[in-house]
Amino acid sequence: MASSKGWTWFYRLGSPRWFYETTGRWLPWLGAVTLLLISIGLVWGLGFAPQDAKQGNSFRIIYLHVPVSFLALAGYYLMAIAGAIGLVWRMKLSYVVMKSAAPIGAALTFLALFTGAIWGKPTWGTYWVWDARITSMLILLFLYLGVLALQYAFHSQEAGSKAGAILALVGTINIPIIYKSVDWWYTLHQPATIKLTSAPSMHPDMFQPLLVMIAALYCFYALALILFTRAEILRRERDATWVRDLALQAESSRENE
Amino acid sequence: MQFQFENLEELLVMAGHGEYVWTAVLVSLLTMAWLLVKPLQQHQHNLRDIARQHRREQQRQTTNEAP
Repeated sequence: MASSKGWTWFYRLGSPRWFYETTGRWLPWLGAVTLLLISIGLVWGLGFAPQDAKQGNSFRIIYLHVPVSFLALAGYYLMAIAGAIGLVWRMKLSYVVMKSAAPIGAALTFLALFTGAIWGKPTWGTYWVWDARITSMLILLFLYLGVLALQYAFHSQEAGSKAGAILALVGTINIPIIYKSVDWWYTLHQPATIKLTSAPSMHPDMFQPLLVMIAALYCFYALALILFTRAEILRRERDATWVRDLALQAESSRENE
Repeated sequence: MQFQFENLEELLVMAGHGEYVWTAVLVSLLTMAWLLVKPLQQHQHNLRDIARQHRREQQRQTTNEAP
């Protein structure tokens, strides 16, 4: 059958072993690219980009704040989609990806709030305001932590994964609210710096390093997600022959050192 | 493109905003490093655990086979 062939990649993608072995080859490259992009982006943004006319040097926090916020939001979609695939197709790997996305998303959301608070002090005169953007980001943090915690709240792994996936899906309603919060409600938070539909509101000298940092965070996210997923694959597939061989191989190479 | 600061001290002070900027940078880099170190540790831990479990099972099998 011709149609079945087109789906083989989809089933292969669902195979933990295939994922483990393929990503193992990518890791060194992905790690090198991530490190390079973060170094270039930070040096460029912190040292070479011109300072903001109104905010002075505090504006340089944007080179962390915007990229981590981007990935905190994009990561939520990824987690919810992985959860949905798990619910619908019972794909083993997708629940593993969902579980891995939760701690990364929580940490990045924390960073978005933390760098935002630090930026707020010299700019608005306060670390925290209960406005729509910041409050909805705080809800995002709780959603991530909820998905993380729910998976340990059940005796069976399957039940925990299902509950986590459902919470992740319900929580997606929060994402458009976060995006739109700066337009819908009066807020101290400045409107989006980057929009797909219009030219950026920033000077190119400031904007280019920001793009580098956003690319860097995408690479970093992929790297962290792959690492968490690989560790979890070993745990869940511990009875598989290939995992046992891997473990014994690692042990004997440790003994030979 | 030009370096915006005269010397290292100016880069650190950033005209009064240095404490905010560098705190944000430091906390971000530490958190991100943790996101890489944590799964790597878990990975090693799992490999060791699996090897140990396998060894135990083998031992049990050989003692059971002995008369």
